[in-house]
Amino acid sequence: MRYSGFTYNDLLVLLQGLGVSVALFAATTVIGLALGLAWATLRYYRTPVLAPLAAALAELLKNSPVLVQLFLVFFGLPVLLGTDLTPVEAALITLSGNTAAFVYVIAVSAIESVGRDQIETARVFGLTRWQTLRRVVAPQAAAFGFGPLTGLLINQLQVTSLISVIGVTDLTKVGAILNVRTLEPFIVWAVIGVLYYLMARLIARVCARAELRLRAHSQWKGF
Amino acid sequence: MTSLTPYLGEFAAGARLTALACALALVGSLALGVVVALMRTSTMPLARRVADIYVDIFRNVPFIVQLFFLFYGLPEIGPELSPFNTGVLALALAGGAFTSDVIRSGILALEPGVLEAAQVSGLSRITIYRRIVLPIALRTSIRPLGSVFVNLILTSSILSAITINELTGVAKIVASDTFQPFEVYGLLLVAYFAMTTLVSLGAGVLHRRLNRHLHGGAA
Repeated sequence: MRYSGFTYNDLLVLLQGLGVSVALFAATTVIGLALGLAWATLRYYRTPVLAPLAAALAELLKNSPVLVQLFLVFFGLPVLLGTDLTPVEAALITLSGNTAAFVYVIAVSAIESVGRDQIETARVFGLTRWQTLRRVVAPQAAAFGFGPLTGLLINQLQVTSLISVIGVTDLTKVGAILNVRTLEPFIVWAVIGVLYYLMARLIARVCARAELRLRAHSQWKGF
Repeated sequence: MTSLTPYLGEFAAGARLTALACALALVGSLALGVVVALMRTSTMPLARRVADIYVDIFRNVPFIVQLFFLFYGLPEIGPELSPFNTGVLALALAGGAFTSDVIRSGILALEPGVLEAAQVSGLSRITIYRRIVLPIALRTSIRPLGSVFVNLILTSSILSAITINELTGVAKIVASDTFQPFEVYGLLLVAYFAMTTLVSLGAGVLHRRLNRHLHGGAA
Protein backbone atom coordinates (compact mmCIF):
# COMPACT_ATOMS: atom_id res chain seq x y z
CA MET A 1 0.00 0.00 0.00
CA ARG A 2 1.37 3.35 -0.97
CA TYR A 3 0.64 6.53 0.96
CA SER A 4 1.16 9.35 -1.46
CA GLY A 5 -0.52 12.19 0.41
CA PHE A 6 0.79 13.97 3.47
CA THR A 7 -0.11 12.44 6.84
CA TYR A 8 0.11 13.70 10.40
CA ASN A 9 2.97 11.32 10.91
CA ASP A 10 4.99 13.37 8.42
CA LEU A 11 4.91 16.26 10.86
CA LEU A 12 6.51 14.04 13.49
CA VAL A 13 9.18 12.90 11.07
CA LEU A 14 9.83 16.51 10.13
CA LEU A 15 10.23 17.50 13.78
CA GLN A 16 12.58 14.56 14.30
CA GLY A 17 14.73 15.72 11.40
CA LEU A 18 14.71 19.25 12.76
CA GLY A 19 15.84 17.90 16.14
CA VAL A 20 18.72 15.97 14.58
CA SER A 21 19.85 19.07 12.65
CA VAL A 22 19.66 21.30 15.71
CA ALA A 23 21.40 18.78 17.97
CA LEU A 24 24.27 18.23 15.55
CA PHE A 25 24.59 21.97 14.96
CA ALA A 26 24.71 22.66 18.70
CA ALA A 27 27.18 19.86 19.45
CA THR A 28 29.56 20.73 16.61
CA THR A 29 29.39 24.42 17.46
CA VAL A 30 30.44 23.77 21.06
CA ILE A 31 33.24 21.35 20.07
CA GLY A 32 34.31 23.58 17.18
CA LEU A 33 34.46 26.66 19.39
CA ALA A 34 36.55 24.87 22.01
CA LEU A 35 38.93 23.38 19.40
CA GLY A 36 39.26 26.59 17.41
CA LEU A 37 39.97 28.67 20.51
CA ALA A 38 42.54 26.09 21.62
CA TRP A 39 44.25 26.36 18.20
CA ALA A 40 44.26 30.14 18.47
CA THR A 41 45.78 29.91 21.97
CA LEU A 42 48.57 27.75 20.53
CA ARG A 43 49.30 30.61 18.19
CA TYR A 44 49.09 33.22 20.93
CA TYR A 45 51.74 31.32 22.89
CA ARG A 46 53.74 30.89 19.68
CA THR A 47 54.06 27.15 20.29
CA PRO A 48 56.72 25.83 17.91
CA VAL A 49 55.67 23.19 15.34
CA LEU A 50 52.09 22.98 16.65
CA ALA A 51 51.14 26.58 15.83
CA PRO A 52 52.18 26.48 12.16
CA LEU A 53 50.63 23.02 11.87
CA ALA A 54 47.32 24.37 13.20
CA ALA A 55 47.47 27.28 10.77
CA ALA A 56 48.09 24.95 7.81
CA LEU A 57 45.29 22.59 8.84
CA ALA A 58 42.86 25.48 9.22
CA GLU A 59 43.82 26.76 5.77
CA LEU A 60 43.27 23.31 4.23
CA LEU A 61 39.87 22.86 5.89
CA LYS A 62 38.78 26.37 4.97
CA ASN A 63 39.67 25.94 1.31
CA SER A 64 38.15 22.56 0.52
CA PRO A 65 34.51 21.52 0.15
CA VAL A 66 32.86 20.26 3.33
CA LEU A 67 31.25 17.51 1.26
CA VAL A 68 34.68 16.13 0.33
CA GLN A 69 35.84 16.39 3.95
CA LEU A 70 32.73 14.48 4.93
CA PHE A 71 33.44 11.72 2.37
CA LEU A 72 37.07 11.56 3.47
CA VAL A 73 36.07 11.03 7.10
CA PHE A 74 33.09 8.76 6.48
CA PHE A 75 34.53 6.51 3.75
CA GLY A 76 38.27 7.11 4.09
CA LEU A 77 38.98 7.20 7.82
CA PRO A 78 37.51 3.74 8.60
CA VAL A 79 39.81 2.18 5.98
CA LEU A 80 42.81 3.92 7.50
CA LEU A 81 41.94 3.14 11.11
CA GLY A 82 40.39 -0.26 10.52
CA THR A 83 37.23 0.67 12.44
CA ASP A 84 33.71 1.60 11.43
CA LEU A 85 32.24 5.05 11.79
CA THR A 86 28.53 5.69 11.97
CA PRO A 87 27.23 8.55 9.81
CA VAL A 88 26.53 10.60 12.93
CA GLU A 89 30.11 10.13 14.21
CA ALA A 90 31.53 11.09 10.84
CA ALA A 91 29.28 14.16 10.76
CA LEU A 92 30.36 15.16 14.28
CA ILE A 93 34.06 14.86 13.45
CA THR A 94 33.83 16.69 10.12
CA LEU A 95 31.58 19.55 11.15
CA SER A 96 33.44 20.14 14.42
CA GLY A 97 36.76 20.27 12.56
CA ASN A 98 35.33 22.59 9.94
CA THR A 99 33.81 24.94 12.51
CA ALA A 100 37.08 24.90 14.46
CA ALA A 101 39.03 26.00 11.37
CA PHE A 102 36.82 29.04 10.87
CA VAL A 103 36.72 29.85 14.59
CA TYR A 104 40.54 29.73 14.56
CA VAL A 105 40.68 32.28 11.74
CA ILE A 106 38.19 34.60 13.45
CA ALA A 107 39.94 34.28 16.83
CA VAL A 108 43.37 34.99 15.37
CA SER A 109 42.23 38.17 13.66
CA ALA A 110 40.28 39.21 16.77
CA ILE A 111 43.38 38.74 18.95
CA GLU A 112 45.46 40.69 16.44
CA SER A 113 42.93 43.54 16.57
CA VAL A 114 43.98 44.19 20.17
CA GLY A 115 46.94 46.54 20.01
CA ARG A 116 50.42 45.20 20.78
CA ASP A 117 51.01 48.14 23.09
CA GLN A 118 48.26 46.89 25.39
CA ILE A 119 49.88 43.48 25.63
CA GLU A 120 53.28 45.05 26.30
CA THR A 121 51.81 47.32 28.96
CA ALA A 122 50.12 44.38 30.67
CA ARG A 123 53.41 42.45 30.61
CA VAL A 124 55.31 45.43 32.04
CA PHE A 125 52.78 45.58 34.86
CA GLY A 126 53.76 42.04 35.72
CA LEU A 127 50.78 40.12 34.36
CA THR A 128 51.64 36.65 33.11
CA ARG A 129 50.93 35.79 29.48
CA TRP A 130 47.86 33.85 30.58
CA GLN A 131 46.57 36.73 32.73
CA THR A 132 47.14 39.11 29.81
CA LEU A 133 45.15 36.83 27.53
CA ARG A 134 42.40 36.27 30.05
CA ARG A 135 42.00 39.81 31.42
CA VAL A 136 43.15 42.13 28.64
CA VAL A 137 43.07 40.43 25.24
CA ALA A 138 40.13 38.02 25.47
CA PRO A 139 37.39 40.49 26.50
CA GLN A 140 38.23 42.90 23.69
CA ALA A 141 38.82 40.14 21.15
CA ALA A 142 35.45 38.59 22.04
CA ALA A 143 33.64 41.84 21.29
CA PHE A 144 35.56 42.19 18.03
CA GLY A 145 35.03 38.61 16.87
CA PHE A 146 31.35 38.40 17.64
CA GLY A 147 30.07 39.78 14.35
CA PRO A 148 32.07 37.38 12.18
CA LEU A 149 31.14 34.56 14.56
CA THR A 150 27.43 35.22 14.01
CA GLY A 151 27.96 34.94 10.25
CA LEU A 152 29.91 31.73 10.77
CA LEU A 153 27.19 30.13 12.89
CA ILE A 154 24.50 30.87 10.30
CA ASN A 155 26.77 29.41 7.64
CA GLN A 156 27.54 26.31 9.71
CA LEU A 157 23.83 25.69 10.24
CA GLN A 158 23.46 25.50 6.47
CA VAL A 159 26.51 23.28 6.20
CA THR A 160 24.81 20.70 8.45
CA SER A 161 22.41 20.03 5.55
CA LEU A 162 25.27 18.21 3.76
CA ILE A 163 25.33 15.36 6.27
CA SER A 164 22.12 14.11 4.67
CA VAL A 165 24.31 12.92 1.79
CA ILE A 166 26.05 10.32 4.00
CA GLY A 167 22.73 9.14 5.41
CA VAL A 168 22.12 11.09 8.62
CA THR A 169 18.36 11.64 8.88
CA ASP A 170 18.52 15.37 9.41
CA LEU A 171 16.01 17.92 8.14
CA THR A 172 17.27 17.73 4.53
CA LYS A 173 17.19 13.92 4.50
CA VAL A 174 13.62 14.01 5.80
CA GLY A 175 12.86 16.38 2.94
CA ALA A 176 14.35 13.92 0.46
CA ILE A 177 12.29 11.07 1.92
CA LEU A 178 9.04 13.04 1.85
CA ASN A 179 9.86 14.29 -1.63
CA VAL A 180 10.19 10.78 -3.02
CA ARG A 181 7.05 9.56 -1.30
CA THR A 182 4.63 12.43 -1.92
CA LEU A 183 6.03 13.67 -5.25
CA GLU A 184 5.26 17.21 -4.12
CA PRO A 185 8.70 18.81 -4.48
CA PHE A 186 7.43 22.38 -4.33
CA ILE A 187 5.67 21.98 -1.01
CA VAL A 188 8.29 19.74 0.59
CA TRP A 189 11.37 21.78 -0.30
CA ALA A 190 9.63 25.07 0.42
CA VAL A 191 8.74 23.86 3.93
CA ILE A 192 12.28 22.59 4.51
CA GLY A 193 13.67 25.88 3.22
CA VAL A 194 11.40 27.91 5.50
CA LEU A 195 12.46 25.85 8.52
CA TYR A 196 16.15 26.46 7.79
CA TYR A 197 15.41 30.13 7.19
CA LEU A 198 13.64 30.49 10.54
CA MET A 199 16.49 28.76 12.35
CA ALA A 200 19.01 31.10 10.70
CA ARG A 201 16.90 34.07 11.76
CA LEU A 202 16.74 32.76 15.31
CA ILE A 203 20.52 32.39 15.48
CA ALA A 204 20.97 35.91 14.13
CA ARG A 205 18.60 37.33 16.72
CA VAL A 206 20.13 35.47 19.66
CA CYS A 207 23.62 36.53 18.58
CA ALA A 208 22.57 40.16 18.15
CA ARG A 209 21.16 40.20 21.66
CA ALA A 210 24.28 38.57 23.11
CA GLU A 211 26.49 41.06 21.27
CA LEU A 212 24.54 43.94 22.74
CA ARG A 213 25.24 42.62 26.22
CA LEU A 214 28.90 41.99 25.41
CA ARG A 215 29.33 45.57 24.26
CA ALA A 216 27.20 47.06 27.04
CA HIS A 217 30.21 48.33 29.00
CA SER A 218 31.61 50.31 26.07
CA GLN A 219 28.34 51.99 25.23
CA TRP A 220 27.72 55.66 25.76
CA LYS A 221 25.69 56.00 28.93
CA GLY A 222 25.60 59.79 29.28
CA PHE A 223 26.62 61.76 32.32
CA MET B 1 48.48 5.78 -5.44
CA THR B 2 49.68 4.24 -8.70
CA SER B 3 46.46 2.25 -8.91
CA LEU B 4 44.64 5.54 -9.43
CA THR B 5 46.63 6.38 -12.58
CA PRO B 6 44.15 4.68 -14.97
CA TYR B 7 41.46 7.04 -13.68
CA LEU B 8 43.36 10.23 -14.45
CA GLY B 9 41.34 10.76 -17.63
CA GLU B 10 38.07 10.58 -15.71
CA PHE B 11 39.35 13.00 -13.09
CA ALA B 12 40.35 15.40 -15.86
CA ALA B 13 36.87 15.18 -17.38
CA GLY B 14 35.36 15.82 -13.96
CA ALA B 15 37.64 18.79 -13.40
CA ARG B 16 36.64 20.20 -16.81
CA LEU B 17 32.96 19.89 -15.90
CA THR B 18 33.57 21.58 -12.53
CA ALA B 19 35.47 24.39 -14.25
CA LEU B 20 32.74 24.82 -16.86
CA ALA B 21 29.95 24.88 -14.28
CA CYS B 22 31.85 27.38 -12.14
CA ALA B 23 32.70 29.62 -15.10
CA LEU B 24 29.08 29.70 -16.30
CA ALA B 25 27.81 30.24 -12.77
CA LEU B 26 30.34 33.04 -12.29
CA VAL B 27 29.03 34.86 -15.36
CA GLY B 28 25.45 34.38 -14.18
CA SER B 29 26.29 35.46 -10.62
CA LEU B 30 28.03 38.59 -11.85
CA ALA B 31 25.14 39.61 -14.10
CA LEU B 32 22.62 38.90 -11.37
CA GLY B 33 24.82 40.47 -8.70
CA VAL B 34 25.19 43.73 -10.62
CA VAL B 35 21.44 44.03 -11.25
CA VAL B 36 20.55 43.16 -7.64
CA ALA B 37 23.22 45.48 -6.23
CA LEU B 38 21.85 48.35 -8.34
CA MET B 39 18.35 47.53 -7.11
CA ARG B 40 19.52 47.45 -3.49
CA THR B 41 21.21 50.83 -3.79
CA SER B 42 18.44 52.43 -5.85
CA THR B 43 16.03 55.05 -4.55
CA MET B 44 12.94 53.01 -5.47
CA PRO B 45 11.55 51.35 -2.33
CA LEU B 46 9.96 48.48 -4.26
CA ALA B 47 13.16 47.54 -6.07
CA ARG B 48 15.06 47.60 -2.81
CA ARG B 49 12.49 45.45 -1.08
CA VAL B 50 12.41 42.81 -3.82
CA ALA B 51 16.20 42.65 -3.98
CA ASP B 52 16.54 42.42 -0.20
CA ILE B 53 14.07 39.54 -0.05
CA TYR B 54 15.95 37.65 -2.77
CA VAL B 55 19.28 38.04 -0.99
CA ASP B 56 17.77 37.19 2.38
CA ILE B 57 16.26 33.94 1.11
CA PHE B 58 19.23 32.70 -0.89
CA ARG B 59 21.69 33.46 1.89
CA ASN B 60 19.70 31.81 4.67
CA VAL B 61 18.58 28.58 3.01
CA PRO B 62 21.16 25.79 2.52
CA PHE B 63 22.38 25.41 -1.05
CA ILE B 64 21.45 21.74 -1.22
CA VAL B 65 17.82 22.62 -0.39
CA GLN B 66 17.78 25.28 -3.13
CA LEU B 67 19.30 22.74 -5.51
CA PHE B 68 16.72 20.05 -4.73
CA PHE B 69 13.91 22.61 -4.99
CA LEU B 70 15.00 23.49 -8.52
CA PHE B 71 15.98 19.95 -9.54
CA TYR B 72 12.72 18.29 -8.46
CA GLY B 73 10.45 21.33 -8.62
CA LEU B 74 11.24 22.92 -12.00
CA PRO B 75 10.10 19.99 -14.17
CA GLU B 76 6.70 20.26 -12.43
CA ILE B 77 6.04 23.75 -13.74
CA GLY B 78 7.46 23.47 -17.22
CA PRO B 79 11.04 23.83 -18.35
CA GLU B 80 12.77 20.45 -18.37
CA LEU B 81 16.39 21.41 -17.70
CA SER B 82 19.25 18.94 -17.77
CA PRO B 83 20.82 18.27 -14.37
CA PHE B 84 23.87 20.25 -15.45
CA ASN B 85 21.84 23.30 -16.43
CA THR B 86 19.83 23.07 -13.22
CA GLY B 87 23.08 22.93 -11.27
CA VAL B 88 24.51 25.97 -13.04
CA LEU B 89 21.24 27.86 -12.50
CA ALA B 90 21.24 27.04 -8.78
CA LEU B 91 24.90 28.05 -8.43
CA ALA B 92 24.27 31.32 -10.27
CA LEU B 93 21.20 32.15 -8.15
CA ALA B 94 23.02 31.49 -4.88
CA GLY B 95 26.20 33.17 -6.12
CA GLY B 96 24.19 36.21 -7.26
CA ALA B 97 23.07 36.91 -3.70
CA PHE B 98 26.65 36.93 -2.38
CA THR B 99 27.97 38.82 -5.42
CA SER B 100 25.36 41.54 -4.95
CA ASP B 101 26.59 42.01 -1.38
CA VAL B 102 30.14 42.60 -2.56
CA ILE B 103 29.17 44.93 -5.42
CA ARG B 104 26.75 46.79 -3.18
CA SER B 105 29.46 47.63 -0.69
CA GLY B 106 31.67 48.62 -3.62
CA ILE B 107 28.98 51.07 -4.74
CA LEU B 108 28.43 52.41 -1.22
CA ALA B 109 32.18 52.96 -0.82
CA LEU B 110 32.17 55.34 -3.80
CA GLU B 111 33.15 58.86 -2.87
CA PRO B 112 30.09 61.14 -3.03
CA GLY B 113 32.24 63.82 -4.69
CA VAL B 114 32.74 61.60 -7.74
CA LEU B 115 29.00 61.19 -8.19
CA GLU B 116 28.32 64.88 -7.64
CA ALA B 117 30.95 65.80 -10.21
CA ALA B 118 29.32 63.45 -12.71
CA GLN B 119 25.87 64.88 -12.07
CA VAL B 120 27.11 68.46 -12.33
CA SER B 121 28.73 67.58 -15.66
CA GLY B 122 25.25 66.79 -16.94
CA LEU B 123 25.79 63.08 -17.55
CA SER B 124 22.63 60.99 -17.74
CA ARG B 125 21.87 58.47 -15.00
CA ILE B 126 22.59 55.54 -17.30
CA THR B 127 25.93 56.97 -18.34
CA ILE B 128 26.88 57.62 -14.73
CA TYR B 129 26.13 54.01 -13.82
CA ARG B 130 27.74 52.50 -16.92
CA ARG B 131 30.85 54.65 -17.08
CA ILE B 132 31.51 55.67 -13.49
CA VAL B 133 29.70 53.76 -10.74
CA LEU B 134 30.02 50.19 -12.01
CA PRO B 135 33.61 50.36 -13.32
CA ILE B 136 34.84 51.76 -10.02
CA ALA B 137 32.68 49.50 -7.84
CA LEU B 138 33.67 46.37 -9.77
CA ARG B 139 37.34 47.26 -9.87
CA THR B 140 37.61 47.87 -6.15
CA SER B 141 35.79 44.64 -5.31
CA ILE B 142 37.92 42.17 -7.30
CA ARG B 143 39.43 40.63 -4.18
CA PRO B 144 36.12 39.99 -2.36
CA LEU B 145 34.67 38.77 -5.66
CA GLY B 146 37.55 36.31 -5.73
CA SER B 147 36.46 34.87 -2.40
CA VAL B 148 32.87 34.61 -3.67
CA PHE B 149 34.25 32.64 -6.64
CA VAL B 150 36.25 30.42 -4.29
CA ASN B 151 33.02 29.69 -2.41
CA LEU B 152 31.32 28.94 -5.72
CA ILE B 153 33.99 26.34 -6.52
CA LEU B 154 33.62 24.73 -3.09
CA THR B 155 29.83 24.76 -3.39
CA SER B 156 29.94 23.20 -6.86
CA SER B 157 30.95 19.91 -5.19
CA ILE B 158 27.33 19.67 -4.00
CA LEU B 159 26.22 19.34 -7.64
CA SER B 160 27.33 15.70 -7.36
CA ALA B 161 24.13 15.19 -5.32
CA ILE B 162 21.99 15.62 -8.46
CA THR B 163 23.83 13.05 -10.56
CA ILE B 164 26.28 15.47 -12.16
CA ASN B 165 29.67 13.82 -12.59
CA GLU B 166 31.84 16.79 -11.87
CA LEU B 167 35.03 16.36 -9.86
CA THR B 168 33.35 15.11 -6.68
CA GLY B 169 30.92 12.92 -8.63
CA VAL B 170 33.81 11.26 -10.47
CA ALA B 171 35.65 10.76 -7.18
CA LYS B 172 32.64 8.95 -5.74
CA ILE B 173 32.66 6.52 -8.66
CA VAL B 174 36.42 6.00 -8.55
CA ALA B 175 36.39 5.51 -4.77
CA SER B 176 33.83 2.73 -5.00
CA ASP B 177 35.64 1.16 -8.00
CA THR B 178 39.08 1.06 -6.42
CA PHE B 179 38.14 0.58 -2.74
CA GLN B 180 40.65 3.33 -1.94
CA PRO B 181 38.39 6.05 -0.54
CA PHE B 182 41.08 7.59 1.66
CA GLU B 183 43.51 8.14 -1.21
CA VAL B 184 40.79 9.32 -3.61
CA TYR B 185 39.15 11.83 -1.28
CA GLY B 186 42.50 12.95 0.13
CA LEU B 187 43.65 13.69 -3.40
CA LEU B 188 40.37 15.46 -4.13
CA LEU B 189 40.76 17.65 -1.04
CA VAL B 190 44.21 18.72 -2.18
CA ALA B 191 42.93 19.31 -5.72
CA TYR B 192 40.20 21.67 -4.51
CA PHE B 193 42.67 23.35 -2.18
CA ALA B 194 45.03 23.95 -5.12
CA MET B 195 42.23 25.31 -7.32
CA THR B 196 40.85 27.69 -4.71
CA THR B 197 44.33 28.86 -3.67
CA LEU B 198 45.14 29.64 -7.30
CA VAL B 199 41.89 31.57 -7.69
CA SER B 200 42.42 33.68 -4.57
CA LEU B 201 46.06 34.34 -5.50
CA GLY B 202 44.94 35.33 -9.00
CA ALA B 203 42.22 37.60 -7.63
CA GLY B 204 44.76 39.26 -5.33
CA VAL B 205 47.18 39.92 -8.20
CA LEU B 206 44.41 41.26 -10.45
CA HIS B 207 43.08 43.42 -7.63
CA ARG B 208 46.47 45.00 -7.02
CA ARG B 209 47.08 45.51 -10.75
CA LEU B 210 43.75 47.18 -11.46
CA ASN B 211 43.91 49.38 -8.35
CA ARG B 212 47.62 50.22 -8.49
CA HIS B 213 47.00 53.93 -9.09
CA LEU B 214 45.08 54.25 -5.80
CA HIS B 215 47.33 55.86 -3.23
CA GLY B 216 48.46 53.93 -0.20
CA GLY B 217 46.98 50.70 -1.54
CA ALA B 218 43.83 51.48 0.40
CA ALA B 219 41.56 49.40 -1.78
